[in-house]
Amino acid sequence: MHKAKKESTHLPIFILGGIVLYFLSGLVDELRVYQGATIAVYVIAISSIILLTGYSGQVSLGHGALMAVGAYAAAVLRIEFNLPIIVCFVVAVLAAAFGGALLGAAAARLSGPYLAGTTLALAIGLPSLANQFEVLGGEQGLLFDVGFPPLSLGEEFTQYKWFFWIAALAALISMWVVRNLLNSAYGRAWRAGRGNEVAAQLAGINTARSKVLAFTISAGIAGLAGALLAMTIGTVSPSAFPLALSFSLLTGAVLSGITTLGGVIIGAVVLVAIPEIADVVAHRLGSSESVTTNLPGLIVSGLLILTVLFVPNGPVEQHRARKAKHAARHASSKQEKH
Amino acid sequence: MKALNRRKLITASAVLAIVGLASTAIPAQAAEVGVSSTQIKLGMTLPMTGTASLGYNKIPGAAKAYFDYLNANGGINGRKVTLVVKDDRYVPTEAVAKTNELILKDKVMALLAPLGTANVKAVASSVNPARRGVPVLFVNTGFSGFADVKKYPTTYTVLPSYIMEAKIMGEYIKENFAGKKIGLLYQDDDFGTDALAGFKAAGTNFAIKVPYASGSQNAAAAAGWITKFKAAEVDVVILFGVSSATSAMLGVAAQLKYAPQWMLGSVGGDATTIKATGVPAGVLYNAIGFSPVPATTDMKDEYVKFFSDIYAKAVPGSAFDLNVLLGMNTAFMTAQALKAAGANPTRKSLLAAIDSKGATFANSALVPAGYSKTSHVGLTGYWVGKYSPAGDLSPIGGTYVTYTTDSGSGPVVKSTYKRPAMPAKGLPN
Repeated sequence: MHKAKKESTHLPIFILGGIVLYFLSGLVDELRVYQGATIAVYVIAISSIILLTGYSGQVSLGHGALMAVGAYAAAVLRIEFNLPIIVCFVVAVLAAAFGGALLGAAAARLSGPYLAGTTLALAIGLPSLANQFEVLGGEQGLLFDVGFPPLSLGEEFTQYKWFFWIAALAALISMWVVRNLLNSAYGRAWRAGRGNEVAAQLAGINTARSKVLAFTISAGIAGLAGALLAMTIGTVSPSAFPLALSFSLLTGAVLSGITTLGGVIIGAVVLVAIPEIADVVAHRLGSSESVTTNLPGLIVSGLLILTVLFVPNGPVEQHRARKAKHAARHASSKQEKH
Repeated sequence: MKALNRRKLITASAVLAIVGLASTAIPAQAAEVGVSSTQIKLGMTLPMTGTASLGYNKIPGAAKAYFDYLNANGGINGRKVTLVVKDDRYVPTEAVAKTNELILKDKVMALLAPLGTANVKAVASSVNPARRGVPVLFVNTGFSGFADVKKYPTTYTVLPSYIMEAKIMGEYIKENFAGKKIGLLYQDDDFGTDALAGFKAAGTNFAIKVPYASGSQNAAAAAGWITKFKAAEVDVVILFGVSSATSAMLGVAAQLKYAPQWMLGSVGGDATTIKATGVPAGVLYNAIGFSPVPATTDMKDEYVKFFSDIYAKAVPGSAFDLNVLLGMNTAFMTAQALKAAGANPTRKSLLAAIDSKGATFANSALVPAGYSKTSHVGLTGYWVGKYSPAGDLSPIGGTYVTYTTDSGSGPVVKSTYKRPAMPAKGLPN
């Protein structure tokens, strides 16, 4: 019999990760710090997709729109009321979560391609709503200024390092929350519902409510990512949340392994690194402008196809499965010997 | 013997070290980021792929064509001008990321002709070229706000603002279509807001104003617009939108045989781009159009002839259109700014050069530029022309009639501006 083991929350690991990032940010140049902040934003956004799609089994092509909700909420609050930045981020989460709850209520009645279609429409339509209301600043957008880093950090402390610290801290906290949520009764209910809805209902799970809850939480996390994205580019505008953003997040989630939170960093790094790798490759080959500009898209698409073909569950899951298989074989061969 | 060798070695390495130190010390004294003894590096972000890239993705090729010509003829005081181009897909996030790469990794001296209002704004806010002292030369947007020296101290506009264009359109209407019913199609965002402000300043009254949301312009929408204009019985229809809106409108109008007097804004008025979408050239015939630079087909114009010859050699098979002409014109002005920035140009001296001499830079535009110590306003007007039977914008009666104005409440005046002659061989002097 297995011993009943108290599930650890892995808090020390996340704190250790934070300390490592803290020292790392002092070692690299400003461009890498900026890219680090972008990676942290993607980590948060992709983890919201993994929670929704990988665990609760609902597809969303509209997470870019939910990010926009969070970003606009934070920016409007900052501009109109000049609230502290932490409050803006919290409200961004709440606003996007509210939007997600509304969407989730509709989504619970839909599945598969219908759900994908609905969320797709949201991704296309929602950001351009900004053009209709003056307070949202139209096509040119709103400024979103989180302010200069505190003077106590020193004169040399750059704006981007400040962004990185905020984004990395937010990423660590939200990853910790998501990880523990997925390992809780909620996470088990989501997985049960994804595996077999009828069986889950027979086991006493209210699958509709569980799905709406997943959508709400996922949207809240996406809203946080949106506000952080707006922070890194200093503005919020409809064109910052194009359909392509929703798609690249999904791509990042697939590359990460849609059912493994642990792989999320892979997807985020790939999304940021691909254009740079493509640049280097194109320059090495000395190729024309049209090759240089189209190479990133080609590499991402190629990776996506290869992932789906060869490691459909993502590299981390694949590795884990292989290890488990290996262990099982080992165990069975041991048994035979006895 | 051995000891001697070692001593020689030590002396040699000491000499080498000193020479090495000295040689690194000299450029460190004089050099500016992006400027070496052999080259000056500039950077550009704009949409090279995606829907918004149509037409605009010819700009880097056009600018490079001029810089290559310049470099082949001695460059700027012996330094070659190189241009690093990055694709931002017209997304602000990408524009910020790529601009960061340009400044922090590629270490360019200045940014050249970034495109799109939202993108330039995001870059100004996040990357903050002003704080870094990085010049942002000749932004590719007509948004009047970028000429604000206090807000964007290192940014210079070049295109006349949307407000100026609307004011000049209003003046032209007053002179030529008094008493006629006017209809306006405009984009329902800051682009259109600027236009409405300009028309208001000009005192233009509309029988009907039809807004469209950016991204909604297609054939079905155009059929709806035509119904509205027909119902209002307008004589003149102004299309103050992007190329895709103009193309959709004219394409459907051709099918429905709807033919009012068309008036096309410069943003959506490039004939090559419109015709490339399948709009028959005949529909454009007699439409009124506006441009700050000469007609792209005017081979009698020394600049147009010069630029189109270089472009044809550099990018064979590509049509010489408005985007190309503007791209080369910007590169030409940049070359003069770099030359005026002194023997060892720095970011500071480059900015100072445009402030003091920018208004006198030779360039193809038929209207004056407004650069000064207190103004970063670029070109300040348009000439009015008509589209030929082949669908190309040409001056009415063969002579360019130009108007100038400002983005505020200043009057619209017929310009007496005398364009400086092209410097010898098209090189900055």
